[in-house]
Amino acid sequence: MTEPLLSVRDLQKHYPIKKGWLNRQVGAARAVDGISFDIQEGETLGIVGESGCGKSTAATSIVRLEEPTAGEVIFNGSGRGGASRNADGTHPNDVTRFDRRELKRFRRDVQMIFQDPSSSFDPRMPIGDTVAEMLIVHGMNDKHRRRAIVEDLLERVGLSGSDYDRYPHEFSGGQKQRIALARALVLNPSLIVADEPVSALDVSVKAEILGLIRDLQAEFDLSLLFISHDMSVIREICDRVAVMYLGEIVEIGDTETVFADPQHPYTEALLSAIPVPDPRSRTEQIELTGTVPSPTNPPSGCRFHTRCHRVIQPDGTDIDQESWRGLLNLRDSIAADEVDIEQIRELAQASEPEVTVETQIRSEFGIASLADSVLDSAVTEAIEQLAADRQAVAAETLAEVVWTPCEKREPPETTHSDGHVSRCLLYEHDQPETVAADD
Amino acid sequence: MTESIPTDSAQAEDSTEPLLTVEGLRTKFATDAGSLVAVDGVDFTVEKGETVCIVGESGSGKTVATESITGLIDQPPGMIEGKIRFNGHSLTSMTESELRSVRGNEITHIFQNPQEAMNHCYTVGWQIVEAIKIHDEDVTDAEAKARAVDMLDRVGIDNASSRFTDYPHEFSGGQKQRIMIAMALVTDPDLLIADEPTTALDVTVQGQILQLLNDLQDEFEMGILLVTHDLGVVAQIADRIVVMYAGKVMERGSVFDIFDTPSHPYTQQLLDCLPGRGSAVGGIPGKLPDPTNHPDGCRFAPRCAHAVDACKTGSQPEEITIEGDHSVSCVYYTAGYDRSVVEPPSSESTGKKTEVEYSDD
Amino acid sequence: MATERPDRFDQIDWDEIAGSTGRELSVNLKLMLLTGTPVVLLGLYDHFVVGAREATFERLGEDLGLASQFEAIGLTFDPSSLDILFVFTLFLFLWFVLLPLYQNPRMTRYYWKEFKRNRPAVVSLLWLGLIFIGGVIGPFFISMPEQNLIAAYQPPVFGSVDQVHVSQCMGSIENGRCHGTWEYPLGTNRGGEDVFAAVVHGMTVTMQIAFITTTIVAAIGITFGTVSAYAGGWADEIMMRFTDIILSFPTLLFFLLILYIYGAGLGMFILVFAAFGWGGTARYVRSKALSVSEEEFVKATRISGAGTYRIVRRHIVPNTASSVITQLTLIIPGFLLAEAQLAYLGIGDTAVPTWGQLISSGRNAIDFAPWIVLVPGTVLFFTILAFNFLGDALLDALNPKAESEAGGE
Ligand code: SF4
Ligand code: SF4
Repeated sequence: MTEPLLSVRDLQKHYPIKKGWLNRQVGAARAVDGISFDIQEGETLGIVGESGCGKSTAATSIVRLEEPTAGEVIFNGSGRGGASRNADGTHPNDVTRFDRRELKRFRRDVQMIFQDPSSSFDPRMPIGDTVAEMLIVHGMNDKHRRRAIVEDLLERVGLSGSDYDRYPHEFSGGQKQRIALARALVLNPSLIVADEPVSALDVSVKAEILGLIRDLQAEFDLSLLFISHDMSVIREICDRVAVMYLGEIVEIGDTETVFADPQHPYTEALLSAIPVPDPRSRTEQIELTGTVPSPTNPPSGCRFHTRCHRVIQPDGTDIDQESWRGLLNLRDSIAADEVDIEQIRELAQASEPEVTVETQIRSEFGIASLADSVLDSAVTEAIEQLAADRQAVAAETLAEVVWTPCEKREPPETTHSDGHVSRCLLYEHDQPETVAADD
Repeated sequence: MTESIPTDSAQAEDSTEPLLTVEGLRTKFATDAGSLVAVDGVDFTVEKGETVCIVGESGSGKTVATESITGLIDQPPGMIEGKIRFNGHSLTSMTESELRSVRGNEITHIFQNPQEAMNHCYTVGWQIVEAIKIHDEDVTDAEAKARAVDMLDRVGIDNASSRFTDYPHEFSGGQKQRIMIAMALVTDPDLLIADEPTTALDVTVQGQILQLLNDLQDEFEMGILLVTHDLGVVAQIADRIVVMYAGKVMERGSVFDIFDTPSHPYTQQLLDCLPGRGSAVGGIPGKLPDPTNHPDGCRFAPRCAHAVDACKTGSQPEEITIEGDHSVSCVYYTAGYDRSVVEPPSSESTGKKTEVEYSDD
Repeated sequence: MATERPDRFDQIDWDEIAGSTGRELSVNLKLMLLTGTPVVLLGLYDHFVVGAREATFERLGEDLGLASQFEAIGLTFDPSSLDILFVFTLFLFLWFVLLPLYQNPRMTRYYWKEFKRNRPAVVSLLWLGLIFIGGVIGPFFISMPEQNLIAAYQPPVFGSVDQVHVSQCMGSIENGRCHGTWEYPLGTNRGGEDVFAAVVHGMTVTMQIAFITTTIVAAIGITFGTVSAYAGGWADEIMMRFTDIILSFPTLLFFLLILYIYGAGLGMFILVFAAFGWGGTARYVRSKALSVSEEEFVKATRISGAGTYRIVRRHIVPNTASSVITQLTLIIPGFLLAEAQLAYLGIGDTAVPTWGQLISSGRNAIDFAPWIVLVPGTVLFFTILAFNFLGDALLDALNPKAESEAGGE
């Protein structure tokens, strides 16, 4: 295997949370919590996930718009290849260790496109100057040459050279994204990081921009790190895809493989959300219930267990999966003291016909009655305790019998086929005996 | 409430009349650069319990068209012409206060950005209760509250009764949109106008919101008028589709007509932009015409691959009915032209058609 | 690479170019240095060399041995240090506000198009333009009003006053009433000073107050605000607490104190009020700079490899400028009113013919000679109103938004 253009190892970005007078650090939001992947020359890797999963932070940390907390970002492009590690184990191409001069050099090799076309240009600068500024920064003092280069480039991204002197507000969203591409290209980088470049655009314009990106990529042999929340866009443009959840990569593999044979429930949920442009297949999509955890305090074990629709039942428990999910949701809500018993009581009395508090709670969590008598009576008891204002006891009662292996153990990385890796206990045993060691 | 609305007695009882009828709607704005005609003679209807989608790129006038229905357009600079009938009443002849009562009760809106549509100083519960009380003055506090919580529960807010007292910022974007829907539905409206309700949301949440709208529609039997640029969304939810371009209707028909036999060149190209259909990369070359100065003839002519000289003179071609209520506005469907030039390749459409009829339950 | 330097982005030989940074002085800065330096030198010369009773240019002519030439072209007058400072700020205004407008015609046209919508603001701009021109060139044509007790309380043209109030009527007397003449188009005050001349000279002072205070406030406020925003951490904290102190400082009391102890002229007034008036601007600039630095275009510039100085100079400051200009426009009326109030209370700088002085000089005669108060009062009122209108209009005009993409979607 050849050396990858970019290889990210165990990258972390934690934001300290400070409190009080002295700005003491009381915790950290782990926006990116140890991700690793490679991008080969000319390849497009997609990172997909919901908003807040840390995918944008990953992008900005990789290009060092923000300083990563830990980890390595090794960039081998533009003649840096072939370097070997220093004696102390650091890598000479580790972007996180670049000094000022190296970083400035690196800026020519890796560029970025942002999501919001309306805010990614200085409203007070003609767009030609905005693009040309990149050249000035890197020392090109010849004004006429700058202009010639930028005009030529504007034409290549589908605008005209005479647009040089126009201001951002005179362009539509799609045109601005073209200019953004020009700005990213003008230093002739080998990698472009695109953070949701099309999600603010209309469908038809989206298709145009994706087409343009693809053409430019082929013409200039670019590699792309493409960040999106939209699986259907990923499918159009990416060779490989990494699925991120709460700061971690839960599945990574060839786009086709991942789409055809997802090995993680979260990926399944994301895939089921792709709207199918066919009125005859109005598929039911997988609905994720439960609380969305915060990156300051990620759940133990598998981070997805608070929402996973396939969360594992412990040995000896066998109830229908939906009730199981509801049961865990109830447990988590009681433990977090989010069940407001006063409200529920009031409501139960006001409803028509009047119902008991228990019925009310059970219906809200979708656990009308459980096939497992132990669990069912535990629910009844917990609700009684709750009604008697003993929230802690109620939480304990449930916690004793309701638990899942998913919260006890962190799922290990499981390799399913070459380059297709996921982290879920369900798929843990799928591991093929020997992965064909091809070189 | 109803007493205050002038009743057109002759037709109010007419049960064959659609829930909403829009005829010859023309909305223009006075601007510095002259009169901007955003919507230029548009007709459509919405039946009870039906979902009609208006589809178009931004700038097509689709939002203005729906906002004109309930007079959400500031007049001036706006100016609305045409006939709009709703539940047997003419909305165009109503006073502002009558319109306002229709707007909050029988017709409700949800918008693209739930963030902006909520008051961040009050709890969501309070806001919903408020909406209920405005609608129904006799309701007791406890009843209103019960209804609000019930509604929150129905739109899929987990642990609704406890979250009743939370503030908007404590909910995620998707949950906020659910709350907006709850707010729009507590008054039991006959028509819900949803303007790009899923565009600002993550894809994972988009599908859920559409599903929710679908389910609630069955439950409340209301009409939904949905505005979107995304045909993918439309496929999930629409019964009928109106394709708009530059203030005019290009094509209309049932969702199956549009997806199986898209007959207007614009519709075909829009569909081709969809991932999972067509090429998905390429888009539609060119851009929307200047709304203060629409081109002669077919509005789509400057971007249409099939355009002939006749497309560039006169006014927008008449809508020609192809079959049932599927009609299209393109010269190739008028007498003397060979419509097979712009018809969708039949192999594809038959390939897509399956034996099993989709049943909308 | 063959013969010509290739002008395609993918064929640039960066190794050939890299290294040098493209930092060069802008045309604006060059012009400012060219014109500003003599003014500064003149100011220093005036302060350190020229005696209190000497006319600056006369002395300069002597020192340079060009006295006769100077006299021939009329260069004999004696600018005060305020005048010199005023000229300096005018150059700043010319090279850093007007010239950029000319350099970016597209943007200027856009601003003007937006600005034009606001009719009252256009009228305000005309009004302020009038005051400005009157203030700058008026004093060259209309001499300083002089005491002439004989001509006290002359009414304006078309006006009249009971004969008993005037010692000698310059116009015609009809039915025991003295009528105004064109000699004193707006009448005179108790000292026989021409109200029109006083109003014109008041324009100069008004413009001096407006330009000099805003320059000082802007200089301190913008520097303080951007540095604070960019330094962050403790430095930010300390600077902002200092700003709080400035904001809560009782400037008026402080000024009165100085006035009683040392005595103070208009220069001191400007200095004190400007030195304590920048708190709001600094805070404003800081918050604006913070929000601008979060914008994606700043990220995009950072990722180009540009240094902090470049980002601040080229992107942050220009983008805060529009709001700062607005804010500054809105604080000028405060200074003007403060000056007028002090003058009215009789503790202003009597050596300077301000509108406030004029109003103050007419307050005892308001029952029979209302023009003395009314004329400068009206002018002052409209000027303050104009600044307020202008500020509002600039706020809208200077913030380019994407033109709603057809049809208000
Ligand atoms: S480990 Fe458990 S909770 Fe995590 S994804 Fe797999 S099944 Fe779901
Ligand atoms: S009328 Fe002409 S321009 Fe319009 S869609 Fe048909 S062929 Fe194209």
